[in-house]
Amino acid sequence: MAETFEPKIVSFLCNWCSYAGADLAGTSRIEYPQNIRIIRVPCSGRVDPLFVVKAFLDGADGVMVLGCHPGDCHYQQGNYHAQRRYLVMHKLMDFIGVESDRLYIDWVSASEGKRFAEVVTNFTQRVRKIGPLVIIRDPHALEVKLDEVTA
Amino acid sequence: MNQDKPRIGVYVCMCGSNIAGTVDVPAVVEAVSHLKNVVVTRYNKYTCSGPGQLSIREDIQANHLNRVVVSACSPRMHERTWRAMLAEAGLNPYLLEVANLREHCSWIHPKEELTTQKAIDLVTAAVERVALHDPLFPQRVPVTKAALVIGGGIAGIQASLDLANAGVPVYLVEKEPSIGGHMAQLDKTFPTLDCSACILTPKMVDVGSHKNITLLSNSEIDKVDGFIGNFKVTVKKKARYVSLEKCTACNDCVAVCPVKVPSEFENGLAERTAIYRPFAQAVPNTYAIEKRGSAPCKSACPAGIHVQGYVALIGEGRFREAYDLIQERMPFPGICGRICHHPCEANCRRGEKDSPVAIETLKRFAADWVMAHPESEPVRARKQGDSLKGKKVAIIGSGPASLTVARNLSEESAQCDIFEALPVPGGMMNVGIPSHRLPKPILEKEINDITSRDNVTLHLNSPVRLNGTGDKASLTLSGLREKYDAVFLGMGTNKVIKMNVPGEELNGVHYGAEFLRKVNIHHLGVKDTKLPKLGKRIAVVGGGNVAIDSAMTALRLSGGEVFVIYRRTRVEMPAFEWEVAEAEEEGIQFLFLTNPLKIKGEDGKVTAVELQRMRLGESDASGRRRPVPIEGDTFTLPIDTMIISIGQVLDDVDDEVVKNDWGWIKTDEVTRQTNLPDVFAGGDDALGPSSVVEVVGEGHIASESIKRYLLGEDLAAGRGKPVQESKPAYYDPASWDKTPRHKNPARDPETRIDFNEIYMGFTEEQAITEANRCLDCGVCSECMACVGACGAGAIDHSMVDVFEQVDVGAIIVASGYDVWNPSPMIEYGYGTYPEVYTGMEIERLSNASGPTEGNIVMRNGEAPKRVAILHCVGSRDEHHQPYCSRICCMYSLKLAHLIREKTHAEVFEFYMDIRSFGKGYEEFYERVQHEGIVFVRGRGAQVMPDGDHLVVRAEDTDLGKPVNMPVDMVILSTGVVPTSGAEKLAHTLHVTRDVNGFFLEAHPKLRPVDSNTDGIYLAGACQAPRDIPDTVTHASAAASQALGLLSQDFVEVVPTIAEVNELACVGCNLCVEVCPYGAPSLVMKRGRLVSEINEALCKGCGLCVAACRGKAITLRGFNDMQLLTQLETLLQFSMK
Repeated sequence: MAETFEPKIVSFLCNWCSYAGADLAGTSRIEYPQNIRIIRVPCSGRVDPLFVVKAFLDGADGVMVLGCHPGDCHYQQGNYHAQRRYLVMHKLMDFIGVESDRLYIDWVSASEGKRFAEVVTNFTQRVRKIGPLVIIRDPHALEVKLDEVTA
Repeated sequence: MNQDKPRIGVYVCMCGSNIAGTVDVPAVVEAVSHLKNVVVTRYNKYTCSGPGQLSIREDIQANHLNRVVVSACSPRMHERTWRAMLAEAGLNPYLLEVANLREHCSWIHPKEELTTQKAIDLVTAAVERVALHDPLFPQRVPVTKAALVIGGGIAGIQASLDLANAGVPVYLVEKEPSIGGHMAQLDKTFPTLDCSACILTPKMVDVGSHKNITLLSNSEIDKVDGFIGNFKVTVKKKARYVSLEKCTACNDCVAVCPVKVPSEFENGLAERTAIYRPFAQAVPNTYAIEKRGSAPCKSACPAGIHVQGYVALIGEGRFREAYDLIQERMPFPGICGRICHHPCEANCRRGEKDSPVAIETLKRFAADWVMAHPESEPVRARKQGDSLKGKKVAIIGSGPASLTVARNLSEESAQCDIFEALPVPGGMMNVGIPSHRLPKPILEKEINDITSRDNVTLHLNSPVRLNGTGDKASLTLSGLREKYDAVFLGMGTNKVIKMNVPGEELNGVHYGAEFLRKVNIHHLGVKDTKLPKLGKRIAVVGGGNVAIDSAMTALRLSGGEVFVIYRRTRVEMPAFEWEVAEAEEEGIQFLFLTNPLKIKGEDGKVTAVELQRMRLGESDASGRRRPVPIEGDTFTLPIDTMIISIGQVLDDVDDEVVKNDWGWIKTDEVTRQTNLPDVFAGGDDALGPSSVVEVVGEGHIASESIKRYLLGEDLAAGRGKPVQESKPAYYDPASWDKTPRHKNPARDPETRIDFNEIYMGFTEEQAITEANRCLDCGVCSECMACVGACGAGAIDHSMVDVFEQVDVGAIIVASGYDVWNPSPMIEYGYGTYPEVYTGMEIERLSNASGPTEGNIVMRNGEAPKRVAILHCVGSRDEHHQPYCSRICCMYSLKLAHLIREKTHAEVFEFYMDIRSFGKGYEEFYERVQHEGIVFVRGRGAQVMPDGDHLVVRAEDTDLGKPVNMPVDMVILSTGVVPTSGAEKLAHTLHVTRDVNGFFLEAHPKLRPVDSNTDGIYLAGACQAPRDIPDTVTHASAAASQALGLLSQDFVEVVPTIAEVNELACVGCNLCVEVCPYGAPSLVMKRGRLVSEINEALCKGCGLCVAACRGKAITLRGFNDMQLLTQLETLLQFSMK
């Protein structure tokens, strides 16, 4: 039974810009895929890299962090810190062998409802193409894999 | 962490059909009722309504609920409402979680199983999360009872008056020198045809005189700190250069200001002066001076001459005044205007477009004019003082540096004794430069003007023994130092450099500087002097100005052949290129890449010179390529005279005075003091051979230093600061005239065989035209004419920008709009065809106080007979602004009415729709139609020229045919855009803007005057285009919202702020580094440094929480446990 893989997308949206942009998409009745689950944070700078790691461990196939446009952050510089952390996370993901395209950062303002929908649709499609994230949870299976690699 | 077991009530809203339409609400309620800790579940049709809220409150009490989940619209919509509901039920308002089932679910997904499943997931996550919520207690901060209004147009004025009348102190900040905004520019307003100024000015006066309003005009917002109820705003009060208290608005300053620039208020249709008042009814009714820094010409001039100023004065025919202004910094205008190397012209911005303004010749013109009109009185007499009365200064040498020092110090009543070794004064100006370049009468006048002053005594034939030679009776430096309070060394560089080739001691060999000196002294009529004897074949060796001057002088004296021998090429010659060209025109032959090896002679006289041919090798230290001899390539040139002109150096000076590495006198960079405290130096002896303008600059610096020294003041205080060069011109260069630069007429080379001047200078008409090519780069040229004209003494050019902090509780943004410039729409020809206008420009023409006194006339001066008005220019247009600007249809109708009334012209309106939506608007439209104005339904496509009129091409959609309408005048009804400063203002205030750049309201329907930042409100066109009635309404609404805030004593600050776990904190300082508000700081606690959060400053962004490596900081309401629980729960979902 070949099912089309439907990715699980988690998105951290900041209260002032991207969350409001998502609200505007709703008010404008713009449809986008149902794969996304949204968590509201006060600022994209609140997003701890730990959340990203936990998201993947908890079963997310893709994680999005959306903040205010550079220069427009409600808290002045939170989005710059988010950007910096994202770059480091990206490198970490490459290092550990998880496709870094699964993590995405972008800027959506409170008046960009249509854009929010586009961003969600495009990212969902991208993760759908990459495929499900495989995490080996069984310790025995992990040992086997390690032996293979270190042999 | 709370201790009690959670008892959760879950409420799912149907929101009419907004949620229920796509989500199976009963199914959601059923699914969540089985979750852990859930005690009550319910669904409501309208949870936010009275009954809805009541049912929840009753539930809370009946079931002893201690947590509530509301699953409805976005928390941004009603979180506040639900919190208040909890508070009323006796529960802490923060024990609430909202699940967004509407904007993030029901409204964007189709009605199907997956949508309901998503809804269930969202509610489940909320339930898990709310169990972890703690009660939070917001801090209360006092509210500062004052308001800031940004922008003084009608919106800002209305808001300010509303607040001030309610007893609130208001700071109204306006960037222009006067309030009034665009409404002040309008003629009549629709639909009542009220005169705009008549209804506006009384309000403006009210603002200006209201006891509760502090009007900060000519000011901008620099920084905004703080938060709702407690804003700390730094206002930059720009220098006006005119005192608000003293100015009586008499307009006398405008009458004398020579600088004219396009007037912004008149949209460029008229000019204003640099000192100006935006319009006659300005509030405050005080003038302002526009300064854009130092013009590049002035900042390039080593003597600091007020170049832009005197050029402007010449352009107005005020020649004597120009001369007086030049004299402030340059005592030798006639001299400098003939020989200067004009660094001002090299820097002139006009030179970037075509050719620089002929500044040097203009200066010469002013000097010549005064010489030709000796009866003219100074318009500005030089100030005389007596601060140095009784002091004596010795000045060695009488060149331009020394004479400048003498003038400046004698004007302060110091006694200046000048000791000149030669029998004539003036230094190199008089004895170094030949009279075909610089006529003697001019020198005599300009030198005499200084040496004949009361406090100046000139001692000619009085050398000062500086090098240990001379007899006992000679003057010495130490002798002078004993007798005088200060000494200035201005003897220049007079010792010629010898070539050191064989034969140099033969008869017939001269040295350039000495040669010119002898010629000039003889020309000056000194007794018992002779002209140097010259042959008929003269070789001049050298490449500087002295060499060229020697060559041209020798030509005139001998009538023979003159050669110039230079060892490099023309490109490397240090002489001014124009002087080299003049010499060539006269037949002087240049032998480049040639160097003398040996001077041959017979009977002790020069007969020939052996020359070595050279080629250019590698560059030397100065960057010029070294000449290298070509082996064996020599030739002999028969000559009978040689003039060696390879430079001058300092005569030997007492070792007491320290020299620098190049051999000049070493002086302090800022003060020109030598190592001997009472001895100062400047000019060629300190710089090496230079120019008159440079050493005059030196003279000014040295005389200021000597003055301070004599008065015991600090020599260097406040000096040596760099000059701020002006920013480039801001108005449209297309409006410049294209007049080319006037050439200074020169005599024919064939007739130039005598010592009369080569160049003839400008006539009065030529001078005025040339001066008007100036672009007024600094705008105010600091000519100081206004200071003299102001009877009230209100002008102060030394004013600087002042920063002031004001504390307010609320801020209203009323920054307004700009009229869109239609130049990008080249199909309409704005800026290309003269008779294409914007609506605002027609307002100015129609306005009785405008540039045409209310007559609607075209640029050719005639009234139009047929006018076309094109609607929607730049609006409703995907290439420019997509939105409708709301006011243009109505103002187009109004302009049509005014034009028809005043000129009886035919008026055609090319429109898409007529938007006459307001009270009385549709009736006005009817009226205008009845006046015979014709409406063509079709957007103007193109404006084309046809002979002396224009043709508008459009499609008449009613007829279904294209139309080519010949008209005299085209008016483009352009839309409006946010003001140019909006972006910067938004960043300063941390307020967001929408896609079109207008300030973003918190909610388009319910909160049109609130911004997204608490405490900051929006008034007027800064939020969206609107007409005057709507603007006044909007502004009053903003004021009333602000009043709601300011009438409270306290405001609650968001409690979702950061908190430090002191045990876990290691004091690494990361949180301090990332916080934009300075909320965390390291303090000593329990014997070590730990972070502490200032709760008043923390905004709750969570940046520090994410940055803390040790997880020692938590964010109340958004802590890691809560977010991670929500994350984990959400990811339990599955997609089918």
